[in-house]
Amino acid sequence: MKIILNNSSMVPIYEQLMDQIKNEIIEGALSAGTALPSVRALSGELKISALTVKKAYDRLEEDGFIVTVHGKGSFVAETDKNLALEACRRAVEEDFGKVILKAQNFGFSKEEILDIVSIILEEN
Amino acid sequence: MIAAKNLRKDYSGFSLNVDFEIPSGRITGLVGKNGAGKSTTIKLILGLIKPDEGDITVMGIKAGELDAKDKEQMGVALAESGFSPYLTVNAVVSILKKCYHTFDEGKFREACRRMHLPMNKQLKEFSTGMKAKLRVLVALSHDARLLIMDEPTAGLDVEARVEVLDMIRDYMVEDESRTVLITSHISSDLESICDDIYLINNGQVILHEDTDVILGQCGVLKVDAQTYQTLDKNYLVKSVKTPYGYACFTKEKRYYQDNYPGMVIENGSIDELILMLTGGAER
Repeated sequence: MKIILNNSSMVPIYEQLMDQIKNEIIEGALSAGTALPSVRALSGELKISALTVKKAYDRLEEDGFIVTVHGKGSFVAETDKNLALEACRRAVEEDFGKVILKAQNFGFSKEEILDIVSIILEEN
Repeated sequence: MIAAKNLRKDYSGFSLNVDFEIPSGRITGLVGKNGAGKSTTIKLILGLIKPDEGDITVMGIKAGELDAKDKEQMGVALAESGFSPYLTVNAVVSILKKCYHTFDEGKFREACRRMHLPMNKQLKEFSTGMKAKLRVLVALSHDARLLIMDEPTAGLDVEARVEVLDMIRDYMVEDESRTVLITSHISSDLESICDDIYLINNGQVILHEDTDVILGQCGVLKVDAQTYQTLDKNYLVKSVKTPYGYACFTKEKRYYQDNYPGMVIENGSIDELILMLTGGAER
């Protein structure tokens, strides 16, 4: 598992951790059944609080990416690729939702918003 | 693992009055300015002084009633090791063997070797860093369930601090049910090792928060006087006047990020929290 945390980022540490583990699972770098390091071990390695690691693990479990067996540790869950993609889609939707809300607050119309999106898409 | 209820200790001119609970499996930090009551709290936990009121229990036993056997389960590193400066580490090993049934000599010697502590040199010849490492190693030497570390990194250079903190981390990884209470003046040390933090000031607990929340949700807004007038102050803990306007401490930086795009918001830190909450930053 390769985790790189940015301590000066505005993105909370648990979210960075969660996203990176999630990506490794989706990309297949972490396969189903792989044992994740214990909460305390990972917190020691990354030099962050154990509660931060626990929070990330809890969220990953809620989202179905890992399973925690009491007394044994956490393991990568048997994820259905579709489910993983669905989760990505939800995350993107959520981000778009925020941006659209912002645009609406500034008084942009539906057409104007779509224009911005297509311009950005073309630029890339 | 440790519970204090209405714990009170009065001295002339200072009184400590705290409530706290430290569950097992946790690394808890105790921060505060000099004279805030950190050492008094530690002395009460160790049963070295008696409370004037209230209760303090350690491993379920009243602190004043801990016997030698109970104390064997605690690993303590205070400002001074208590060993005579004329002893060598070899002599310390003989003492520890007699003191602790669970003393692991092989492991202790190995750790001393790894930390480059000379076994045959008198402790008075040791550098500050070597003394500090020895204090921590002694606390870790006998499979204690509870570690109490009073300023284990004080006076150390950055490399020695990292080594000391790593020793404590490794100790927790070995057995996750162990518990650590640690005090420090160096907030970045606490940020990197503690799960939760108690901030005490003038003998009172003024904040108890998970480190995760302090680092993830707290922040400092830097705004000019004009912006400050119209700013939603519902989520501000404290504002301090500065040359550019105001520095405002918030526990909900996301709210300000979302609602005030472009505002300068810095991540919170324990140092910031201490300065803001104990009034040191007011000018």
